[in-house]
Amino acid sequence: MVRELAKIFIAVGTQSVGGGTSTLFLLRRFLVDRGRLISEREFTEAWSLCQLSPGIHLVALAGLLGQRIAGWRGVIVAVSGMMIPAALITVAMTAAYGLVADEPLAHAALAGMAPATGGMTLGLAIVLVRDARRHGWRAVVDVALVIAAFALLLLTTISAVLVIASVAALGTLFLGRERPTSRAGAAE
Amino acid sequence: MDPVTLFLVLLKDSALALGGLGSLPLLRQDLVATGLASDTQLVQALAIGRLSTGPNGLWIVSLGFQLAGPLGAGMALVAASLPPLLILPVTAAARRWLLSVRFAGLVRGAALATAGLLCATGVSLVVPAGDVPSWWQVVVAVAAAALTYQGRLHPALVVIGGALLGLLLAS
Repeated sequence: MVRELAKIFIAVGTQSVGGGTSTLFLLRRFLVDRGRLISEREFTEAWSLCQLSPGIHLVALAGLLGQRIAGWRGVIVAVSGMMIPAALITVAMTAAYGLVADEPLAHAALAGMAPATGGMTLGLAIVLVRDARRHGWRAVVDVALVIAAFALLLLTTISAVLVIASVAALGTLFLGRERPTSRAGAAE
Repeated sequence: MDPVTLFLVLLKDSALALGGLGSLPLLRQDLVATGLASDTQLVQALAIGRLSTGPNGLWIVSLGFQLAGPLGAGMALVAASLPPLLILPVTAAARRWLLSVRFAGLVRGAALATAGLLCATGVSLVVPAGDVPSWWQVVVAVAAAALTYQGRLHPALVVIGGALLGLLLAS
């Protein structure tokens, strides 16, 4: 079982490009559709719980699924299987880029990649708001909090950690009426 | 950069973030604002994270490698992998608390703050301090934001498209 789990998570870590939706798609296909190692309901429930974890939600998902399928050995195999080969590929790509980073063509490519990554960051933020905001008049309060966090980071030198901690504390008291929905797009 | 210091910064920022890109505003403040890294290194790491395999939160492995070599990459990998696993003991010990209204509010608050901080970081990457972007860079940024929101085009293709436009228009 552990060996099969290792094969699946190594395949997911090395075959899913770009993270998020593609990684989630492969995990579901290998574990639920093909391997039948876990039920659709268990997969969905684990994914919902992962929305509550800090850091990379897909790592939390790998840990939860690995634990459910093969206990603590499953956690280690699933997380390291998904992360280590992918990290090696990432390092190899970074090293390869480093060899040409000072070339004029690399500078030109970077001039296009910078706004692309900036725009993607903005797009992801909008997805996050779409998924986390409540409805009706409460949405206005939620969007106001987003704008406040945006302005604080852009216009002041306040700590980003303090902004997150303050709004999270406010959330504990006032924002819990509707549950956030979970979406693959914000999960990477 | 001292790998232990780098590890502690990456671990703290990963632990306080929601999602793989959630640590971006925190890391930019801790590393770029203090001069330990540059926006260029951040953009390279983000782009490689989108083009590489696995979760795109692995962009911090690329950043770790740029800042402290293979040891930095290893530190970044561990720092990115540990905080999400907190969900395991928490779900075992306090599943009911995770499903409470108060915790839902905490997660929503953190998500909304993260969204605001990501917006600010995104704007800063498109419009770096003291620099005015070209018209085509603004178009690329708007198009990338729209494509990411729609989620129809693979993120790696968005990065490749930006790079190709850069090669065409900036070289």
